[in-house]
Amino acid sequence: MIVAAPPREQTRARYPDESGDIERDGVRLYYEVYGSGETTVLLLPTWALIHSRHWKMQIPYLARHCRVVTFDGRGSGRSERPRGAEAYAIREFALDSLAVLDATATERAVIVGVSCAALWGVLLAAEHPERIAGAAFICPAVSLAPPWPERIVYSFDEPLGTDEGWAKYNIHHWLSDYRDFLEFFVGKCFTEPHSTKQIEDTIDWALETTPEVLADHDAGIALPLGVDFHELCRRIRCPVLVLHGNRDELHPLARGAALAQATGGQLVTLEGSGHFPQARDPVQVNLLIREFLESLR
Amino acid sequence: MDRPMAVELTATSPEQTRARYPDDSGYIERDGVRVHYEVYGSGEPTVLLLPTWSLIHSRHWKMQIPYLARHCRVVTFDGRGNGRSDRPKGLEAYDEREYAADALAVMDETKTDRAVIVGFSMGGQRGLLLAAEQPERIEGAVFIGPSFIGGGDSLPERAVYDFDTEYDALEGWAKHNRFHWLRDYRDWVEFFVSKMFTEAHSTKAIEDAVGWGLETDAETMLATQDAAGLTPEESRVLCRRVRCPVLVIHGADDAIQSETRSAAMAEQIGAQLVILEGSGHAPHVRDPVQVNLLIRDFLDSLR
Repeated sequence: MIVAAPPREQTRARYPDESGDIERDGVRLYYEVYGSGETTVLLLPTWALIHSRHWKMQIPYLARHCRVVTFDGRGSGRSERPRGAEAYAIREFALDSLAVLDATATERAVIVGVSCAALWGVLLAAEHPERIAGAAFICPAVSLAPPWPERIVYSFDEPLGTDEGWAKYNIHHWLSDYRDFLEFFVGKCFTEPHSTKQIEDTIDWALETTPEVLADHDAGIALPLGVDFHELCRRIRCPVLVLHGNRDELHPLARGAALAQATGGQLVTLEGSGHFPQARDPVQVNLLIREFLESLR
Repeated sequence: MDRPMAVELTATSPEQTRARYPDDSGYIERDGVRVHYEVYGSGEPTVLLLPTWSLIHSRHWKMQIPYLARHCRVVTFDGRGNGRSDRPKGLEAYDEREYAADALAVMDETKTDRAVIVGFSMGGQRGLLLAAEQPERIEGAVFIGPSFIGGGDSLPERAVYDFDTEYDALEGWAKHNRFHWLRDYRDWVEFFVSKMFTEAHSTKAIEDAVGWGLETDAETMLATQDAAGLTPEESRVLCRRVRCPVLVIHGADDAIQSETRSAAMAEQIGAQLVILEGSGHAPHVRDPVQVNLLIRDFLDSLR
């Protein structure tokens, strides 16, 4: 892989109208606000692997039609990188999201999240119905259906005798060759042909954080939530849209289908899409988000 | 810098879906050779998108057609030797003047009195013929990475190997060779197309162009290569005869044609020269928005 992008941030199609930092529980978080209007869309952070630029194909479009708020999740981008699993518990991301809504004077928002953003997104929608008007989940990383079998072959913590394939998803490999892991993992995110630009962007963003932070984040996600996830899904009363690529090699389509079923939401299968359709097939995803927003009016 | 072929072909014929389909299409026939043309949109002026070297056909304009056809009428055709046009035998059929004559026949058939021509690479040669010799029919001309031999220099790496000498070693431009085309046409196509697109993230453009290249064959390409083109002196004389406005566009990282060629052509015609930073040989494919806006600005300037 030849990385041709400069280390500095690339130019943007649209710059925020407002940005700032909030501090919650000692962790500084960076947020951005674009556009104006009655509906606010809160673009949620996902795994600390990437920061809010993963929404770069949504922001300029959505901000022409509504108000858009996004923030870098703890551990990524311009936000702080606390250490320890507790700092990355699912509930922390939900509380960060509420704090950003407060800081931007956003009473209610439609949330949109990719991959494990569904974990804190479901928590938000279930526990804060007064703040969340609707929820769209893209390729949700929820364990309501089994994972791909190849992802549970190797231990994450134990040293392995191999670094082939999913054996790269291992803390020892991360610490010895983070970049090699990224090239493998990001390659799995984009199964569509002609994804070199998206792969390059994602690897660059991932190099802005560290394997230690990612390991903390994984451990934080694994901490007990204190409430059954399936039960949370069933408590959601707002409209839910689930988009899932049928070529997602990180989380099977069955997971998105299960989330849609558990929440009573609508499932749209994206033909030929991998794990990050918002980056690789943005027009289709943007139109689906906009239709969803209009259905809420 | 040799860029390895980093692309697994995922798309092959049949033709991909199009952003816009022609409003009219058909064939002209000249000396028994059928040439396929397409018409999009309506209004003034007509832009005639010329064929380039028959390695690729008129789909290389696919990023221009939907945009331009919203603003004017667009006519294009497959150069003889590729696409839906015939692949006649013999090098006489591929004389540079045959392409220019096809263009005029297409204009006649589509009732196009006058047109602004846009030519890419080899399209610069047939376009130069048209602009110089048909002033009553050509209102203006845009040349992108033109193959101009009336001045400037060829790229040094392209002057190392002889086209007609058989080599053992087959690295880089040594593949641009008669014997290699016959031995492994696809390998040459992949090499040449990789040189067309020097920009990062060009896998789609490369895949498209390789696919189009495989719609013709080594024998046809050799006929185009051996056919009579313009001589340097002819090229210079033609430049002096051009009276219509001309815009020359060249990518600063073009690995097929030297920027000095475009600079010489622009100077001899008295044309405007725009250098696109970071672009390779085919910026209309790889940086279409910028090229489309340049073409449209040029069209507006003719009003």
